[in-house]
Amino acid sequence: MIDETKPLGSILVSQRTIASIAYHATLHSYGVVGLTSKNFVGGLARVLVKDPTYGVSVRYDGRNINIDLFVIIEYGTRIKSVANSVSHTVRFQVEKILGIPINEINVHVRGLRVSNLD
Amino acid sequence: MPSENPTLTKEEMIPTKPVDGQVLKRLIEAGLIWLRSNQQLVNSLNVFPVPDGDTGTNMVLTMQAAYEEIANSREKNFGEMAHAVAHGALMGARGNSGVILSQLWRGFARSIDKQAVLDIPSLVIALAVARDTAYKGVVRPVEGTILTVAKDVAAKAEATQKNAVDLVALWKEIVEEADHSVQRTPDLLPVLKEAGVVDSGGKGLFFIFEGILRAITGQTLEMPAVPIQPLKDMVLENIKEITEPGQDYEVIVDFHPAKPLDLARFYYDLGEMGTSIQLGEGDGLYRLHIHVPTHNLYTPIDYTRSLGPISKVAIENLMEQIGSGQKNNQEVAYTLPPVEPGQNAVVAVVPGKGFAKVFASLGVAAIVEGGQTMNPSTQEIVKAFENLPTDKVILLPNNKNVILAANAAADLTVKRVAVIPSKSVPQGLAAMMRLIPDGDFDNVCEEMIEALKDVETGEITKATRSVEIDGIEVQEGQIIVLHNGHLVLSVSNLEEACLGFLKETRAEDHELITLFYGENVLDQEMADIELKIREKYPKQEVEIQKGGQPHYQFIISIE
Repeated sequence: MIDETKPLGSILVSQRTIASIAYHATLHSYGVVGLTSKNFVGGLARVLVKDPTYGVSVRYDGRNINIDLFVIIEYGTRIKSVANSVSHTVRFQVEKILGIPINEINVHVRGLRVSNLD
Repeated sequence: MPSENPTLTKEEMIPTKPVDGQVLKRLIEAGLIWLRSNQQLVNSLNVFPVPDGDTGTNMVLTMQAAYEEIANSREKNFGEMAHAVAHGALMGARGNSGVILSQLWRGFARSIDKQAVLDIPSLVIALAVARDTAYKGVVRPVEGTILTVAKDVAAKAEATQKNAVDLVALWKEIVEEADHSVQRTPDLLPVLKEAGVVDSGGKGLFFIFEGILRAITGQTLEMPAVPIQPLKDMVLENIKEITEPGQDYEVIVDFHPAKPLDLARFYYDLGEMGTSIQLGEGDGLYRLHIHVPTHNLYTPIDYTRSLGPISKVAIENLMEQIGSGQKNNQEVAYTLPPVEPGQNAVVAVVPGKGFAKVFASLGVAAIVEGGQTMNPSTQEIVKAFENLPTDKVILLPNNKNVILAANAAADLTVKRVAVIPSKSVPQGLAAMMRLIPDGDFDNVCEEMIEALKDVETGEITKATRSVEIDGIEVQEGQIIVLHNGHLVLSVSNLEEACLGFLKETRAEDHELITLFYGENVLDQEMADIELKIREKYPKQEVEIQKGGQPHYQFIISIE
């Protein structure tokens, strides 16, 4: 739970909320064709539940917010550009919506989807 | 800057000439140049997905990489050339729009494959495959973007291919549809409508297509369709005018009249609404500029809308700006020395009022404000020296991002212009010291270029994000030090940064240390740091100047 103390009380934002924003921002980035679980067990669980924070992990150490994204990218795009664009978009959206700065965003490219071979 | 004239020759304009690899090369070049001419306009439209105003730049860099890939190729085969374009675009892809653009080229090239020349059916299919390839790159394609434009264009090509007599006619239809599709984007994407703009990526794609058409029909590519006059300039001119009453707001409307304008009638009607009326025209697009009193604020907009669709509206509160403008001017005023006919005149691009003053005291003939993140346009630079009473002009860009614009400015004029590639303000100042106004032009330029090597430049600023470059880890908010453009240090405060830089560059072996402090540095802070430096480097001359630059807390020069 990440909180910001205001004169009238606190605003509490769960990691899940942040993950949710990051998830949607990631899916809107060009070149990303999906998110994936960071481990195999998670991949199994995916079959059972539809989670809006799937493939996103938000860590909060009491001071900094760090986001990890596990993405699958379209084969044939430039991975570096797509990853840059994802981290840029996610940072912008999360910071815009929450008004809390993000420390780091790591984009883990977990695979490529090959739509059609050249 | 590609040196070849991109306009196709008469012979190539004849539609029966086969469109082979070499023709494609010319067309790509034309698309690139036209996009570059309109880069700032595209940047200004950028609101989605992140409003950081770099769509135009990203697309230009992507297209430029595509062009560079084929610039020296003698390939005749259209398909092979298209593959090379796609490869170049992919390698140079930057940002969302750049990646999408590279995917469009990839699909296009794959569809054409090894075909020797382009014909109507293969163009139609290639546009469809390009669209499909681009759409595949994203889970949730957002409509009202460059993707939509690619889709509409492909559909139009398919629908009109039977009626088209030749490729040129079909391409005309395609460009027209791209234009319409761009105009429709605000209806599909609410954020665009809210911001009152059309989609930037879509517009960029349109410019590439239109550039190709302009090359085929022999129209100029160097000047943008709509002159993008920086608002700052307009406001300055307005201050100089003795302000007439009834000029509370400046309204600028871009619109496409549905039928040809009756200019006399148009001017008469507008004369009723306000003053300072100007009308710019380019390819069916008109840009109206008018000053109106508050109660007439929306009248010109409604009026032009009755004539045809509006693409852009900009409103500025003149009264407020005049107030703030005067305040800024009083802070640091500078006068430029007059230039005699036939003398060597220097035009410098400077990042702040303080630097303007320093350059003025050294004898520059004209100053263009700009620098990091606010690069001046080619036109601004041309404007700065065009009216000087001499035809020998020396440009000091003082920023590596401005050098290209300066080179472009040099190409646009009949005057003799030399660009001294100064990458930083200290380099520019060092070059300035070698200026001999009545000296031989070539010798003076040579001397000035030579002077660039004698300076060590340090730039100190705050990191806007966490990053690791050249093995140096930087946290957001830390102070970073750049030495001749390379990151060398990251520390927690300004004092450490200054002293660290001086140590790094072995300032004790040099003679003169100059510090230019930025707009955000407090006098007390400056005094403390000055004291520390004087203590540590007693043998060196230490000079402190107010640079007034944004972003950089300090710019240090060591000579």
